[in-house]
Amino acid sequence: MVSVINTVDTSHEDMIHDAQMDYYGTRLATCSSDRSVKIFDVRNGGQILIADLRGHEGPVWQVAWAHPMYGNILASCSYDRKVIIWKEENGTWEKTHEHTGHDSSVNSVCWAPHDYGLILACGSSDGAISLLTYTGEGQWEVKKINNAHTIGCNAVSWAPAVVPGSLIDQPSGQKPNYIKKFASGGCDNLIKLWKEEEDGQWKEEQKLEAHSDWVRDVAWAPSIGLPTSTIASCSQDGRVFIWTCDDTSGNTWSPKLLHKFNDVVWHVSWSITANILAVSGGDNKVTLWKESVDGQWVCISDVNKGQGSVSASVTEGQQNEQ
Amino acid sequence: MKLKEVDRTAMQAWSPTQNHPIYLATGTSAQQLDATFSTSASLEIFELDLSDPSLDMKSCATFSSSHRYHKLIWGPHKMDPKGNVSGVLIAGGENGNIILYDPSKIIAGDKEVVIAQNDKHTGPVRALDVNIFQTNLVASGANESEIYIWDLNNFATPMTPGAKTQPPEDISCIAWNRQVQHILASASPSGRATVWDLRKNEPIIKVSDHSNRMHCSGLAWHPDVATQMVLASEDDRLPVVQMWDLRFASSPLRVLENHARGILAIAWSMADPELLLSCGKDAKILCSNPNTGEVLYELPTNTQWCFDIQWCPRNPAVLSAASFDGRISVYSIMGGSADGLRQKQADKLSSSFGNLDPFGTGQPLPPLQIPQQTAQHNIVLPLKKPPKWIRRPVGASFSFGGKLVTFENVKIQSQQGAEQQQQQHHVFISQVVTEKEFLSRSDQLQQVVQSQGFVSYCQKKIDASQTEFEKHVWSFLKVNFEDDSRGKYLELLGYRKEDLGKKIALALNKVDGPEVCIKEGKQESEFLPSAGGTFNISISGDIDGLITQALLTGNFESAVDLCLHDNRMADAIILAIAGGQELLAQTQKKYFAKSQSKITRLITAVVMKNWKEIVESCDLKNWREALAAVLTYAKPDEFSALCDLLGTRLESEGDSLLQTQACLCYICAGNVEKLVACWTKAQDGSNPLSLQDLIEKVVILRKAVQLTQAMDTNTVGVLLAEKMSQYANLLAAQGSIAAALAFLPENTNQPNIVQLRDRLCRAQGQPVPGQESPKIPYERQQLPKGRPGPMAGHTQMPRVPAQQYYPHGENPPPPGFIMHGNVNPNTATAQLPTSPGHMHTQVPPYPQPQRPQNGWNDPPALNRVPKKKKMPENFMPPVPITSPIMNPLGDPQSQMLPQQPSAPVPLSSQASFPQPHLAGGQTFHGIQQPLGQPGMPSSFSKPNIEGAPGAPIGNTIQHVQSLPTEKITKKPIPDEHLILKTTFEDLIQRCLSSATDPQTKRKLDDASKRLEFLYDKLREQTLSPTIINGLHSIARSIESRNYSEGLTIHTHIVSTSNFSETSAFMPVLKVVLTQANKLGV
Repeated sequence: MVSVINTVDTSHEDMIHDAQMDYYGTRLATCSSDRSVKIFDVRNGGQILIADLRGHEGPVWQVAWAHPMYGNILASCSYDRKVIIWKEENGTWEKTHEHTGHDSSVNSVCWAPHDYGLILACGSSDGAISLLTYTGEGQWEVKKINNAHTIGCNAVSWAPAVVPGSLIDQPSGQKPNYIKKFASGGCDNLIKLWKEEEDGQWKEEQKLEAHSDWVRDVAWAPSIGLPTSTIASCSQDGRVFIWTCDDTSGNTWSPKLLHKFNDVVWHVSWSITANILAVSGGDNKVTLWKESVDGQWVCISDVNKGQGSVSASVTEGQQNEQ
Repeated sequence: MKLKEVDRTAMQAWSPTQNHPIYLATGTSAQQLDATFSTSASLEIFELDLSDPSLDMKSCATFSSSHRYHKLIWGPHKMDPKGNVSGVLIAGGENGNIILYDPSKIIAGDKEVVIAQNDKHTGPVRALDVNIFQTNLVASGANESEIYIWDLNNFATPMTPGAKTQPPEDISCIAWNRQVQHILASASPSGRATVWDLRKNEPIIKVSDHSNRMHCSGLAWHPDVATQMVLASEDDRLPVVQMWDLRFASSPLRVLENHARGILAIAWSMADPELLLSCGKDAKILCSNPNTGEVLYELPTNTQWCFDIQWCPRNPAVLSAASFDGRISVYSIMGGSADGLRQKQADKLSSSFGNLDPFGTGQPLPPLQIPQQTAQHNIVLPLKKPPKWIRRPVGASFSFGGKLVTFENVKIQSQQGAEQQQQQHHVFISQVVTEKEFLSRSDQLQQVVQSQGFVSYCQKKIDASQTEFEKHVWSFLKVNFEDDSRGKYLELLGYRKEDLGKKIALALNKVDGPEVCIKEGKQESEFLPSAGGTFNISISGDIDGLITQALLTGNFESAVDLCLHDNRMADAIILAIAGGQELLAQTQKKYFAKSQSKITRLITAVVMKNWKEIVESCDLKNWREALAAVLTYAKPDEFSALCDLLGTRLESEGDSLLQTQACLCYICAGNVEKLVACWTKAQDGSNPLSLQDLIEKVVILRKAVQLTQAMDTNTVGVLLAEKMSQYANLLAAQGSIAAALAFLPENTNQPNIVQLRDRLCRAQGQPVPGQESPKIPYERQQLPKGRPGPMAGHTQMPRVPAQQYYPHGENPPPPGFIMHGNVNPNTATAQLPTSPGHMHTQVPPYPQPQRPQNGWNDPPALNRVPKKKKMPENFMPPVPITSPIMNPLGDPQSQMLPQQPSAPVPLSSQASFPQPHLAGGQTFHGIQQPLGQPGMPSSFSKPNIEGAPGAPIGNTIQHVQSLPTEKITKKPIPDEHLILKTTFEDLIQRCLSSATDPQTKRKLDDASKRLEFLYDKLREQTLSPTIINGLHSIARSIESRNYSEGLTIHTHIVSTSNFSETSAFMPVLKVVLTQANKLGV
């Protein structure tokens, strides 16, 4: 069942472009073509406006919550070519940093896994991806990947932090040797995977080609302790692909077509347990998909205005005894 | 920003939307010559490859044509649905001809690329358009007011839309309506536009501003609004774009006067009706909103007149412009920095043109004398207004707790820039539940644990089992909760005592069968002769005599040796028994060395109590028998280890079938961690229901272990913890956050679990709004300007005093906490002095008060403890028989059975833990056992603990639940035995101080705690004098540091006493002695 537990009237004056809950699922951040970012406390079905953040001079496309270990921090990106990092100080939300390093609309922001520190990846229509790393004392270091996607990067999504070889805790005090990776999708119809080299430079590791039109969104699935990496991508061409990579080197990715929709697919989002994919299409349809036992992706729900039923066929009765 | 360029003086046509990849066709334009004065012509197809960063376009094919072109379009007619190159290229030639080309053939390099050709027109064909509803319909316009409608399926004979307009004039533009398929518009340089209705076959309206200055160079219908169109004027005196609405055709709706000189071409974006491109003789390419007149964008680099401009149908941000300097350029209107591209371009140009570009600006000096606009910088700004296609209208994102956040924006018909209708901008937060069966089973499990109805639960599971193995597993689990569990295990393995008795009786009635071993004992008793009559004591020199002599002198050893030598086994054994333990043991050994029967090894093991031998070396096919033997004979302190061993062997050596049977051994052993490992190997754990299968067993087994053994020294194992947190994650993902919290292991410092717990607690919405939230299990990082904020100090940052983070100590406890207190009023946790039994500085703090205090894993006994019961000042925390299910005895919390029970461990030992404050000003210690402590005198734990797996445990559950609360005060230990306590405790302290590894320390802590059982027995004076004496001997050997002697005495006590009397503490004592021996303290 998909049942509405809270309908938040955002009072935005124009289209909403993104809505994201924080780490705990207690606060909602929204952004809109009305150039504002709003934060609501939605605990227990409430909807208390905590902040109405003004600072962007164009439509705000995306918002992203940083991990709470760094405080209450929200990043937003806008058509005005800016990325703004907002922070709650003494209960008040303020701009803490403004990144103006892009020459065109910044379409996507995504925080790296908290294990790496405070790192924000930003994808822009100028084709570049920038990486902002907080280095302390109010300083942000910027690394830029130019020409990541010709005529525009539409989405960035970090790979979960997985230490090669170990799933369990590391000896404390010692920095685990993470390999930082993220995926990006762009107007060159490509998905690219980027990896940080030992010298700190970002290098293109893979090009994933299957879409025949703009890649609108990519979403790297959360790690559930399996060696397989999974990425979902969606495109202007109406297709949604699930990419998987089983080998440890991370070099062989194979796509599986989840579905071809009749309209552009704007957004894909994994559930925290990585077993359900929410797909948002240009026909204003939201659908939920789940992989069946035989590896096929099946639509389990059509969500309309937050409501929907869940078909039981995939999820139940397929118990795998012995 | 310029993406690509091709040096061609040509007309251009993009491949249709359906086509992938994107192609651009160019056909040499008529009426233009370049400096070579070449009149040759060609048709070329280029691919737009945006992944190639260079400015070059890849040429796919060139076809040398005999025609030059005034117009080129690419229609999707008969498009291959797979999107391969096809459709049809339609070209308007110089001499009234229309030629149809097959682009796929051009690309394939065929010579015959012309599909059809018709030269019915008069003069150059300047206007062409494909009907977007019926793509086989093409309209064309030429001189003499000629307009034809061509059917590509029947190309020979065109139709006309109606009578020619008079006076005859050139047709410069033609366009099909974008909304109504039978409406067509045409325009001519004279400035008049005519709208035709093909159904009526006549012009239905003429549009003209009567200024006579409109020289129509462009005509385009509104993509969305059927009655609107724009006309562009080439005339320098009126360089405008007029927007017309046919409903009000007397004058233009709006006039866009953005160009300084005449407009040469326009293009209206199909992807966004607010984007109209126009290029003019002022060398500008502008993008305007025809609905408002606002200029949104000026293409920056152009220094040339462009005579043709086209949106790319497939890639809405891309356009191409053909300029008179012989170049087709492809631009993006999304702006962006072209530094990389430009540099290349500059390099290329300077190498080609030498000093034509002396400043390296990337802007070559123009060959035509048009004022040069030098680009000052390379940053190209995007459109002022975001194009429609990047405005995401819908989104659905998952968040923690199985919540889905969705929004959708109703599509707005933009009506001539009218105000948007007021619409609600709502965001929906929904709960997604997909695993109903999983949830209901989880729910059942919780209820069972709460209601303690384990037996019936197991029975239900047995009944519902679909496989034999599953049935076995549940049967084994069930036995744990029944009386005489070992006996029941044996029955499950196929050994029923009654059956056996019958069989034996049967065998005895017959002639002696092979089951000699079974009969042994009984025979002895039956045939024990009553000594009667006199007998002769011979002391002759033969063996008999020697034996007699030896016996008479009390030299049993020699007598036995003699008997053995004479192969008088029975005599030897009998004598050895009289000669004492040691001799007996020796004799047994010797006997077995001599004896060779098939079952000798079994007998050996039985007599020597060497079960390890059986377990280690039996044929694995006989695992059931081995397990049965262990169940029957093994001592409590070795029972688990033996079962484990057998399980391990099965797992590692057996075939796949046997491997799964190892689970049964682990269940007998109560080894949860190994059960998990073994089960996980055999099962696909990613499926929620199979995880549920596992968790059900694990939870039940843990419960059983707690009830029966109470001596599992393991903390939550790594693997189990992982499975449990996976399980909790799944529950959380289905929105069952409370359940997830209940199942999450309590006592582990594994970061992922601690973090998950924190997340779950907060997800429940418990922190008070605006309050500085208490703790978070992460090492804190600070952003600038911020004071610590809502983060808690992690223990890894001990330099930061924890209190610093909690300036609001007076804050009331979170509401959730109070709520829980109400739900379970017996847990007056906050008011009770509790032992912050924790020495693990590694354990990160988490918001303890938010723990679901009515969780099912709370100990049942506590529910009976009256709330108001005051604790004695020197209240001693009991052993945690009451610990939550995920809290085995060895967990860190329970380790701190304090040596000085009255003094809580000083806070300094956990100084780095933040100390949240509760309402009453009571300090609530960071990590503790919130429920288990009060009212549980350790003496009551005892009866439940002593049972090793084999021991009858009785109705343990009832015992626990009916604990009388009065028995809190303990009797003192009699003075004469106090020495035992001090000695043992002292020894443990010594060991603790010299032990280094945490595991040993944990063992010792645990031992210290469990010796409480001994002290309790001493208090109650229930121990038999032999045991007491033995204990004193051990104490003495400890005093003399002779631990091996102590161990020997220990063995003696164990082997001679009733194990139910000693099992609660003797194994522990052994552990301590062994450790002491090892550490040499």
